[in-house]
Amino acid sequence: MTGLLEITNLTKTYGSGEQAVQAVRNISLTADGGEFIAVIGPSGSGKTTLLAMVGGLLTPTDGKITVSGRDIARLSSSQLAEFRRQSIGYVFQANNLLPYLTARENLLVMRAIGAGRGASKERADQLLNELGLEKRANAAATELSGGERQRVAIARALMNDPELVLVDEPTASLDSSRGKQVVELLIEETKARNKLAIMVTHDLDMAVKADRIFEMRDGVLSEHTG
Amino acid sequence: MVGLLEIRRRKTQFALIASVFVLIAYLVMMINGLGIGLNQLAGSALLNMDADAFAYSSDAGRSVIRSELSQETVDSIQTAPGVDESAPLAYAAASYERSSGSISSAALIGYDPGTIAEPTVIDGRALTEDDQHGILADTTFLDESGLSIGDSLTVRLRLQAVELTIVGEIDEGAFFFQPAVYLLRSTLIDLKYGTALDGGGPVASVVLTQGDDTIRSGEGFELVDKQTAFDNIEGVAGQQSTVQALQGFGYIIGAMIVGVFFYVLTLQKIPQFGMLKALGASNRYIIGQLLIQVIVIAGIGIALSLPLAILTDRGLQSLPDSVPIAFTTSMFVTTCVALLVTALLGAIFSARQVLRVDPIIALGQQQ
Repeated sequence: MTGLLEITNLTKTYGSGEQAVQAVRNISLTADGGEFIAVIGPSGSGKTTLLAMVGGLLTPTDGKITVSGRDIARLSSSQLAEFRRQSIGYVFQANNLLPYLTARENLLVMRAIGAGRGASKERADQLLNELGLEKRANAAATELSGGERQRVAIARALMNDPELVLVDEPTASLDSSRGKQVVELLIEETKARNKLAIMVTHDLDMAVKADRIFEMRDGVLSEHTG
Repeated sequence: MVGLLEIRRRKTQFALIASVFVLIAYLVMMINGLGIGLNQLAGSALLNMDADAFAYSSDAGRSVIRSELSQETVDSIQTAPGVDESAPLAYAAASYERSSGSISSAALIGYDPGTIAEPTVIDGRALTEDDQHGILADTTFLDESGLSIGDSLTVRLRLQAVELTIVGEIDEGAFFFQPAVYLLRSTLIDLKYGTALDGGGPVASVVLTQGDDTIRSGEGFELVDKQTAFDNIEGVAGQQSTVQALQGFGYIIGAMIVGVFFYVLTLQKIPQFGMLKALGASNRYIIGQLLIQVIVIAGIGIALSLPLAILTDRGLQSLPDSVPIAFTTSMFVTTCVALLVTALLGAIFSARQVLRVDPIIALGQQQ
């Protein structure tokens, strides 16, 4: 059975010989649009490395990653940039908004860098409205609260209508109440758009809201069932 | 979009860089203006002469000061193949008294009326063959001397004092770093050599020629083109080398300053560049935004330095002993383009840094 995302025997090794460290060991996974997947694990377990490879930011040492049938592990750096621009929505751990831009302008960066599929001003306003930020659209990123910034980051991740939304520790810099709101919003927005979302987190309380939960330990991925 | 927005939102930061560039651009323009002004002082009168080539005596080493031509040699030059028109010219430096009483020097240029060596009169009248003691004074001479048309001046040469009267004004420039005064060649030869040689001595310093393919050497003479003649004016070569070195340093330092400023900014923005790359921005896009910022800042710097240079020139020209600075439109255009190019070259180091940024930095990881 083929899915939107297929990971087959994925491995990432740093260093070589006796110094070699396997951050990700022989991982396989299949997932489809509309699924919200959580990957939990302690720091250094390899979960962010896994996310980076799926997002085309790191080249695997071995194995295959296909997104909509395309093997991204074999793409050149410029092809990967194109892939990220068109097919990936990223919510970074520290949201990473451009501080000198407004909330709306941070979304429009996606249009500026050439993301297609209607990354327009109208879409930016629509997303800001849906995420309850219509009154903060013209506020500078530095004037937004932590929760508002994360919501802007979520909106930015959806601007290019990606196939895959990757979320790295979205609640790391938020209190539990805001963190819960952000995760629920993520789930709501990605499911409403039938996106496949993968969230990396160390927070079990957030992970249980996902459709599927995987645990990463010492580079090995295992799915929680039941 | 991102680059321009950043400039608008971080005005103070970029204004500081622009202000430094204003100073660099201003300095380079003043140096270039000095170069042109010095060249004009050295020999704009020569460059303005209506000639394709200049003939010197073969033993003069292409020096107008040392060149002395006999009538026979002048005749040979004037009948040389390819010479269509020609005119002998005499030169001497002499001292005179300004209206203020101070002593200064002038370049005396002797010519024959009705020849290609005759300057264009802009005020007053031209010399005729009867004007043995008449002179045409260049505008710079009148400004410096405080004299005007109709005034007489005493010129001293070879321990003799001769009174000459200004009958007309010309605008031919300076010669040998001195304001030029034109008089009849016969008068100047008399002044320079007296009657001691009884017609057997030099009759000219150089001969101006017009015609194609006249550059050659002949019996007792050497013909060179106008630019070569200018380059051989005493002191010009060294002066030009100095000015060119100053210009070069100005451009290099300007490029380095812009380069350093933008390099520091780039280093500060590495996390942002990493994030943009993680979102899918290409290197071309990010470097493009960087170059747009450089162009805007350099453009603002150049635009502000232009009126500064013009105002400075006006101020300097109003001084009693004016500084030899001159600006031309082509100089401004060339300088502006060169400054823009050097600014962009200075940004190369920043561009290289952008290429090296790893987007994984945006995730806070190290490979």
